[in-house]
This record gives sequence, C-alpha cells and structure tokens, in this order.
Amino acid sequence: MGTQDPVIRVQELSKRFGDKVAVDRVSFDIDRSEVFGFLGPNGAGKTTTIKMLTTLLQPTSGRATILGHDLRTEGRKIRERIGVVQQQDSFDQGLNVETSLDIYGLIWDVPRPERKRRISELIDRLGMEEFRRKPTIDLSSGQRRRLQVAREFIHDMDLLFLDEPTVGLDPIVRRTLLDFFKERVRDGLTIFFTTHILEEAEYLCDRIAVINEGRIIDIDTPENLKRRFGSAKAVEFKLLQGSSAELAALLSSSEGVTRLVQEPGTGTYRVTTARPESVIPEIYRHAERLGVTVSSIYISETTLEDAFINLVTENHGAGVVSGGRAA
Amino acid sequence: MNIYLRLVYRNLRANLDRASLFFELIFPLFFIFVQGFGLNGIVPPFDIGNGKFVSYSLFLAAGAVTLTVINGGTNAGTQLWFDRKNGMFEQILMGPFTRAQYILSIIFATLIIGVAGSLLVFVFAFPVVGASFAFSLEGALLIASALFFGTVFFGAFAITLSVALKSSETFQVVSTFAFFIFLFTSSVFFPASSAPSAIQAASLANPLTYTTDIFRAGLFSAATSTTSLELGVLALEAAVMFVIAVLAFRRIRV
Repeated sequence: MGTQDPVIRVQELSKRFGDKVAVDRVSFDIDRSEVFGFLGPNGAGKTTTIKMLTTLLQPTSGRATILGHDLRTEGRKIRERIGVVQQQDSFDQGLNVETSLDIYGLIWDVPRPERKRRISELIDRLGMEEFRRKPTIDLSSGQRRRLQVAREFIHDMDLLFLDEPTVGLDPIVRRTLLDFFKERVRDGLTIFFTTHILEEAEYLCDRIAVINEGRIIDIDTPENLKRRFGSAKAVEFKLLQGSSAELAALLSSSEGVTRLVQEPGTGTYRVTTARPESVIPEIYRHAERLGVTVSSIYISETTLEDAFINLVTENHGAGVVSGGRAA
Repeated sequence: MNIYLRLVYRNLRANLDRASLFFELIFPLFFIFVQGFGLNGIVPPFDIGNGKFVSYSLFLAAGAVTLTVINGGTNAGTQLWFDRKNGMFEQILMGPFTRAQYILSIIFATLIIGVAGSLLVFVFAFPVVGASFAFSLEGALLIASALFFGTVFFGAFAITLSVALKSSETFQVVSTFAFFIFLFTSSVFFPASSAPSAIQAASLANPLTYTTDIFRAGLFSAATSTTSLELGVLALEAAVMFVIAVLAFRRIRV
C-alpha cells in the first residue's frame, strides 16, 4: 500500500439480512490520518458497516480494501492492523483492569516490557489509576468504556474503528478521550468514528458521511454540511412561567416550523425554522393569547445537529453523494 | 509465543470460575470417599475384565475420576458463554485470530482443565486406588487416551449446547440434565452389563461408558480384546462431536 493510497476504499458495499437491506451500496474513501465520521439515526446501518469493515460480517455484494488488503480474502491481514472499540461492553470478567490490559496485550503478542510501559502510560493518560486493580465486573459503564479504549492502544494499529465510544461518559472524561484520539491521529492513526453526539463529530472529524436507511446521503466536512444544510435557523426563547404545553402545540403546527424541542433543565424552547422573521411574531402572538410572557428570545447559530436533522428528515439528495470525495 | 498458547492462557485466566472448579473437584471425591466406602460392605466385588475383580470403592473411584471429564467439558460451554455475554467473543474475532483458532483454544483449555482435574482427583483418591494401581506404559496410554477423547467429546458437546441455547441460564439447566443422563447410563456407578436392557443399550452409545471402561482398564491393567474397539468408538464419537461443534460454532450470528 502506497502512502497516497486510501486507508479504506469502499465501493458499492451492501449487506442484506433476508429481505432487509441493512447497508445499500455505500461507497467512500478514507485517507491516512483522517478522522471519518459516520453519522445516522438508530438502525441506519452504521454498526453493520463497521462489522463488515472489521471482517466480522461478510458483505452481500460490493468491494472494499482496508490498508491495501482485500476485505473478502485477506481478513486476517486486515485484523492484524486495526483496533475496534465496540458499541457494546466487552470485558474479561475474571480479571482486574490492569491484568485485563496485560492479557489483551499478550494475545496480541506485544512483548512484556512494552506491555508494561503502555499499560502504565494509558492508565495515567486516561485517568484509570483509581480503578486499575478493580475487577472488570465491578466497573461502572464509564470506567468499562475507558478500559475498552485503553485496551485497543495496547497493541499497534494503523486504523481504529470507534463505534460510539463515549456513551455513558461524563463531559470531562469524554473530552479527555477525544483529545487522546486527536493526539494519536497527529501520530498517523486513521479513525472511523460513529457517534450520536454531534458536537463530538464536529470536534473530531475531518469529514462526515451521513447514512440513513442503509444509504449514504451525503459526505462532506462538518463546516460544509452546516453551510449547505443548516440554512434553517434556530429561534430560542424562554417563558416567565417556565413552560406552556398549549404554546408548544400551537407553534409545532405553525407554518415554517421544522422542529420544536424544550431543553430539559433550562426550560429553553428551541424552534428550527427557515423563516425566523415570521416565526418570532407568531411566538409573541400565541403567547399573548395564552396569557404567558416571553422573557427572552434570540436567533442562534446553526449547529451540526440542525444540519444533520434537516439532512436526515428531509433526505436531501437521497442516494446522492455530494461534496467531499466519494469513491 | 504461539497463538494457541496465548489464547489458551487467556481462556484459563479470564473465564475460569475458581469456586466452580473447587466444587467440580469436591464432587467426585464425595462419591469416592462417602458413597464408595458406604456401599463397599454390601456390594460384592466386580469382574472388570481380564479376570480382575475389584471392590466397589475401587470400581467407583475409577469412575469418579472420569466424572471430572464431564465437569471439564461443561467449562468449555461456560467459557464460550462468558465471552458471548461479555462481548469478548466478537472482540477476539475482530483481532488477528480465526474462528478455528478461537474454538480450538477453548477445546485446549478444556483439555487442560479436564485432564488436570482428573489427575488431581486421582492424586486425592490415591489412598483408595493406589494399592491396586500398577503402572505400565500400555495402562498410562489407555488412561491418557480415555481422558483426552472423553474431554474432547464433552467439551465439543458443551460448545454445541452453548451455541444452540439462547441464554446462559438455559445452558446451565440443559447441560446439567444432559450430563446426568450421560452419568446414569454409563458405567461410572455400576457395570453397564448388570443394568436393565434399555440402559445397557443406551450405555453402548454413551461415550462416558467407554471413557470409564478404558480408564479402568488402564488403571487396573485389565485391558481385554474389546478395549481397543472401545477406544476406536470413543475416538470416533469425539471426532464426530468435534465436527458438529465446529459447524454449530460457525453459525453463530455476530
């Protein structure tokens, strides 16, 4: 594999389970040291794609090369150079954290002195000192997730698959992990990353593919996705009375409103619309009629989440790959 | 280090429940020292072939050692269940290993548990069986073959059950029930030839019968002209069960 060749090249890859098409002719390239985000709603085909690319599932049709090796015929060679952090928990229940890391390094044939050095570094870097001798069966879900990430860095790899790696983590640990991934990318690692947390994708990814119902509906940089599909604005407002179900119902059915949510905790209503200039007077008109008071209101910047929701719900250009590079 | 050695070491460290292992050793010793001595006075000595007669406590002690083979077999299924339940099955298959290497590593780990457990029980039971044990190369080979093929059969059987059943709880119940059937239609507790005809017929298909008979023949230097035939049947049954386990294992959905 040359240094200019893509780390992953996927061409028309599909997976069927009986009559159900889980992944439908997806195509993309990923370059060395790139973080490639794979976003989509639940059941969109993200995990099935990862399982195919990690050789766990045989594709029904299509081709792919990973690190220059053919997906169908050179699975073992591919698996020698990749790491995978699964969405589900995975741990050796009879071991403590440190021993678990050590034995995982052993089965990957990492020499003992190197294992010791890496374990020590990872435990320190990922803040695992306080539970390094704790049995894995007793770990919290966040601790277990950190163990899963640390374990993959015990062995050498060129490509890392991360399937929602930060589920259940608090914001500080999450940021620690994301920064750790960024460091490793600077050292040459390539990452294939799925997440539901769009701020994470924006923070980490160089490009993002949006998949829905098994098909890639777009690939582009986070900035371009926001620019192209974030034409809708978000109007945020608060009520003096906290909340009003009647007002929410009226606004939801108003013309031009794409989506309305109330943030738990702050009580802020967030209205996604392409025409904030007509929605704002509507908010005041309904509020006055219902006898509630708008205490603050402003138009906010478009987020990647807005772009993502627009893209998926409206299925802009379904089946068409635009922007960025498609294979 | 060899890939199998690494995986076997990991299986032994990660998936073995020490408390269960302890009771798996206690179980046969209970038969030897409680049931064996309890019934020794009222059960006459048995002809085990080749003109050899042994007391009931000796007869049962040899059978109880082979009982450990079954317990070792159950461990194979449990190892697979733990890995599937804890997400390590997929994790390992996404590493530089093949399915064949993974399943063989479980069988090898099971062999170590089964054979080491049997030897340990044998050592503890030595006060009972030691006086009648005459070491010979032929006897040692028969003992080793019985333990090897018996463990392979029951390990493969447990893996097949583990793949076929939907939960670890069902696996525990069904495997315990199945192993009781193997136990009571074999020659562990009594000579199959003295059992009712239905049990005699079942014992002819039961690999535990052959494991126990061959083990006794090796232990008491009582091999007869039928011992090599029994060894052949046991090896064949172990090979068939192993193939079934591999085929079942390949069908696991990930």
